Amino acid sequence: MSYKIAVIGDPETVIGFSLAGVSHTHVYRDKNKALGQLEEFLNNREIGLILITHRVVESLGPEFHQVVGKKGLIPLVLKIPDKTGYSPEKDELSDLVRRSVGIEIPVKTEGE
Amino acid sequence: MAAAFTSSPNRMELMKVRKRLALAEKGHDLLKDKMDALVMELFNTLKTIQKSRATAIEQLRKGYEAVSACMAVMGTFETMQAAEETKKEIQIEISERNIMGIEVPTVEIEETERNALTRGYSLHTTSSHLDTAAREMERAVKLLVELAELEVTALTLARELERTKRRVNALEYILIPRLQGAMNFIMMRLDEMERENFTRLKRIKAILEGRE
Repeated sequence: MSYKIAVIGDPETVIGFSLAGVSHTHVYRDKNKALGQLEEFLNNREIGLILITHRVVESLGPEFHQVVGKKGLIPLVLKIPDKTGYSPEKDELSDLVRRSVGIEIPVKTEGE
Repeated sequence: MAAAFTSSPNRMELMKVRKRLALAEKGHDLLKDKMDALVMELFNTLKTIQKSRATAIEQLRKGYEAVSACMAVMGTFETMQAAEETKKEIQIEISERNIMGIEVPTVEIEETERNALTRGYSLHTTSSHLDTAAREMERAVKLLVELAELEVTALTLARELERTKRRVNALEYILIPRLQGAMNFIMMRLDEMERENFTRLKRIKAILEGRE
């Protein structure tokens, strides 16, 4: 099956990805709109990958996980840094790995 | 605790508990094997993620830089306009792959880099910075799509691993000890009953002999 990509983020991120040819974009303005849009992207069967900036994820708070938790395998959701290179200290994946395997495995290698 | 499993200590009950224990032990072994396999798979994925993450994020940073430079040179509004006019044609192929009964995605993407002429914005009103920005972002998208596959795979595996671990522990530390306790309880009880019976018979025999 072939799918499209969607992006949610600040204006600059969205412009960048539109230039690259990403079809579905949403500029983050306020929480409720972004949540609605996220849900729409998740339910859209055309979309296979949603890119969302870490900052937006953080401002959406626990509702983000609630909304994303309901989806199946597709669409995939990937959190990306925005133009400031911001990504949170606590990484979801390495956290989960530490909990399930019991040892720390470094996943983050970038120096920020 | 043992009483929870046994209504009455008899041989039927003992057989039942033995059967349950054998089943639980078999399940425990199987789940443990699954856990080991999952850990291996997860580690392999994590190894590739480290590299993939670093390159993707580096490329994305380059992309953002180029976009910022372009906005500075051409103006924010013009850049937005050009982004609006760009042809949106990125397609990705997603199929599902099975790792030990767990569905993980496989994502494929065609070459995302395009020629300035095929991007769709007008060339004579835009600066070459726009071309650079678009090119860098196209490269970033390709890398990010590849990263997404790995990240989602690792997350799915890690979640499954957590669940499996919980099951293994539940069997190992709760169910199996309880069943063993129940088995011991029944066996002790049965032995005790046999001894009681034995002494009773002896006693009766002594009384009968005393009468004669």
